[in-house]
Amino acid sequence: MSSTVAPADRHHAAHHPALQHHFNSMAQQKEAAVIGMWVFLLTEILFFGGLFVAYMIYRIWYFDAFAEASRSLDLFWGGLNTAVLIFSSLTMAMAVRSAQTNKRMATVNWLVLTMILGCVFLGVKVIEYSDKFEHHHVPGPNFVWASEHPSATPGAGEAAPGAEGAAAEHGTAPGAGAAAPAAAHRQLSLTPDQLQRTTQIYFSLYFTMTGLHALHMIIGIGLMSVITWMSWKGKFDAEYYTPVEMSGLYWHFVDIVWIFLFPLLYLVERHT
Amino acid sequence: MSDHVSPISLYITIFTALMVLTAVTVFAAFVDLGQFNFLVAMLVAGFKASLVVWFFMHLKYQSHLTKLALAVGLFFLVILLGETMVDYASKEFTPMPPKVDSDAEIGTH
Repeated sequence: MSSTVAPADRHHAAHHPALQHHFNSMAQQKEAAVIGMWVFLLTEILFFGGLFVAYMIYRIWYFDAFAEASRSLDLFWGGLNTAVLIFSSLTMAMAVRSAQTNKRMATVNWLVLTMILGCVFLGVKVIEYSDKFEHHHVPGPNFVWASEHPSATPGAGEAAPGAEGAAAEHGTAPGAGAAAPAAAHRQLSLTPDQLQRTTQIYFSLYFTMTGLHALHMIIGIGLMSVITWMSWKGKFDAEYYTPVEMSGLYWHFVDIVWIFLFPLLYLVERHT
Repeated sequence: MSDHVSPISLYITIFTALMVLTAVTVFAAFVDLGQFNFLVAMLVAGFKASLVVWFFMHLKYQSHLTKLALAVGLFFLVILLGETMVDYASKEFTPMPPKVDSDAEIGTH
């Protein structure tokens, strides 16, 4: 870390090496960075917002399919990942705090821990995704929705792929009573054929939303590895740690997205 | 530019609150609250997000301009979600012209 800047320097022409010539002061430079970062995060909010709108509409249309498909997700992995991500937010906040208080090695250590937690999250995601591939829950030609409830016909799984092409009925009107209620554990407004198609919508959204979230995590880990290296080299001090804080804002944002994704994807309807 | 340095105890408190609220979300999902299950889940998630934004992301200590920037973003998010939902919800109760033939029904959804 560079030699400490005397507090008196703050007021005039401090000339911290990190001060760009087009800013009057470190404070002004920091303010510009913070607002810029928040504006970027707003575009991210609206980017995910579009996906949330799509999710909302399909959830309303095909609620039973969403509830069924959601129950097939493993709550243990989802809950664990939520805890891991919240913990990584704490370690990230600690990293920023360490930078604020001029603790170089602590900053590096907290950042490394945050990256490890990010990798744990992604590792759990790999387990979950491979589970989806195994169960043919990936949308596409190999998608098979076999109801896990014993009351459903056992051979439904094999019959479903063939039935997919044969399903000639209109793809709309889910709430309409036209469809005969399936003889399942409870009154479903969707027939097995409809479930086969509509659960795919859920899983399309599941993979899009968690996939884009995971992509953000990978970018975040990439950002952090650069920041960690810069911290290690002593580029930051209590006067200038903006990159650490900006990466922190990004990481916390990714955490917030997951805070919403978790109940939306894993907890659609668990109480039946 | 002395930035606000939050005490470690505050971060631990927020972390604990977030974990407890996660447990609350999971617990509430297993209780049949009818229509309110979704509302509770979203309220808890919104509260958790607010804690992260306010304390972890230091919005509490930022300028009014930064806070306004977030408010503007949320405003547009509300428009995006709200207006779309209003449109879809109103499809159900908007008085439709009397049915003439079955083809007319396809357009309503």
